[in-house]
Amino acid sequence: MPAACEVPVQVTVNGAPRAATVPARTLLVHFLRDHLGLTGTHVGCDTTQCGACTVALDGVAVKSCTVLAAQADGHEVTTIEGLAGPGGTLHPVQQAFQDEHGLQCGYCTPGMVMAIRQLIEDHPDPTEEQVRHALDGNICRCTGYQNIVGAALRAAKAAGPDTVAEREG
Amino acid sequence: MFPADFAYVRARTLDEALDLLDEAHAEDQEAKLIAGGQSLLPMMKLRLAAPQVLIDIAGLPGLSGGGGWMGSAVGGYLSYTIGALTTYRQLARDPLLAGGILRSRNENAAPHRAEGIPAVTDALAVLADPQVRARGTIGGAVAHGDPASDLPAVLLALDARLTIASRKGRHPETHVGPYPRRASREPSDIGRREIILDDFLQSIYTTDLAEDEIITSLSIVSRSGQASAYEKFPHPASHLPLAGVAVAVEFRGGTSTDQDGNVTSHADGSIAQAAIAVTGISPRPYRARAAEAILKGAFPTEETLAAAAAQVTMGSADRVSLLGDQHASADYRAHLAEVLTRRALAKAIARGGRSS
Repeated sequence: MPAACEVPVQVTVNGAPRAATVPARTLLVHFLRDHLGLTGTHVGCDTTQCGACTVALDGVAVKSCTVLAAQADGHEVTTIEGLAGPGGTLHPVQQAFQDEHGLQCGYCTPGMVMAIRQLIEDHPDPTEEQVRHALDGNICRCTGYQNIVGAALRAAKAAGPDTVAEREG
Repeated sequence: MFPADFAYVRARTLDEALDLLDEAHAEDQEAKLIAGGQSLLPMMKLRLAAPQVLIDIAGLPGLSGGGGWMGSAVGGYLSYTIGALTTYRQLARDPLLAGGILRSRNENAAPHRAEGIPAVTDALAVLADPQVRARGTIGGAVAHGDPASDLPAVLLALDARLTIASRKGRHPETHVGPYPRRASREPSDIGRREIILDDFLQSIYTTDLAEDEIITSLSIVSRSGQASAYEKFPHPASHLPLAGVAVAVEFRGGTSTDQDGNVTSHADGSIAQAAIAVTGISPRPYRARAAEAILKGAFPTEETLAAAAAQVTMGSADRVSLLGDQHASADYRAHLAEVLTRRALAKAIARGGRSS
């Protein structure tokens, strides 16, 4: 395959195959927002600092402003739109944000939720310190983080029994 | 922010990647390899880099993951080979490097706790953030040549060597030891050379890597009785080290047996040798050889550690050139390096040496 400025991209997004031919320089976040209309993933700083654009690539949280759509070709992406269950049942992390009032303006929330989802997958029973460390790459300008950390701890507790049941199940 | 326009191509094999590099150069185009892209893409978005061709090597087979410890436990010298495409996240989850529970393939063998290399664990915990660590690769970290990067300092303290592939005959091949097994399945016109990291790093964003070469793996060394640590002072926004210091201290050890069969231990708490690598304060991460010399054969008293730390801006002969910018002056960075050296040495020594 010769190098090309327009590249075909096939990505499974939230379980559904999606395809488009895009300029090679298209960032994954713009592919999701502009080509697929999935505007839940936000562009904050655009310099790999703020984490508002966090999505899961093959199940692992990454910053979609620092991944080319072309690099995601052939891979699986999960965005904030893909978390809720059928009928709109909120994901435990989403529910915890509502319960703990883990947001004010909401701009950083999709990235926070995706980052915390990763944290709980890696550390099902995190300490507060682990939560704060895991959110190193996510910036919130409103909350002072307190309720976000609270939401993460609550989500881990809520997910706990289910996760164990799944593992033993 | 978009990068400047470029052409993108994904290489399926090492052979194809080398061909693509050659094709681009034949057409006089600037080509860059991309793996994780966590340093390259931000630079391209700021238009500090504008390659015309991007060759994606992230999917090359056989260049990802750790190869396990190899070497002689009798000599107490072990080396660990890591594929260049191994991400920071993978490194942090490798119990042989980061410590943790090691399960044997033999189901009857009880899992045991691997010690890992504490300096590696220290660096991986404070390097960028979890999302970046999920993408960034160890090969990219050294190829980028960033004067303020964490892992190259740790690798430098652990006497890292790089294996670099290119078309046979283009570059001096200095391969020593057995070839990796998979080499036999590769086309025969791929050559390899080895270079120690200390020779590879040259200056700001400048390394010994030629335009037609690809780093395929790195190996690090761990010795019996070795203690290590990494300490950094991060810039609060970028998380890059304003200064970072990695140390690997090897305590005197071993035993000898006299004619009557009496075994004498030589472990007396003194330092056989120490490696100190500094990042963030000069055009490239460097080994503080003058400070290392002070520690060789010495007992780790507070005074000795302070005396060594006071020499940390000295290279092998002269003071290294120091970087100063809007974030921190050269003097401030030198001061940080001295303080961090004391802390890293104290931390490593408190941890004690590896038992195996």
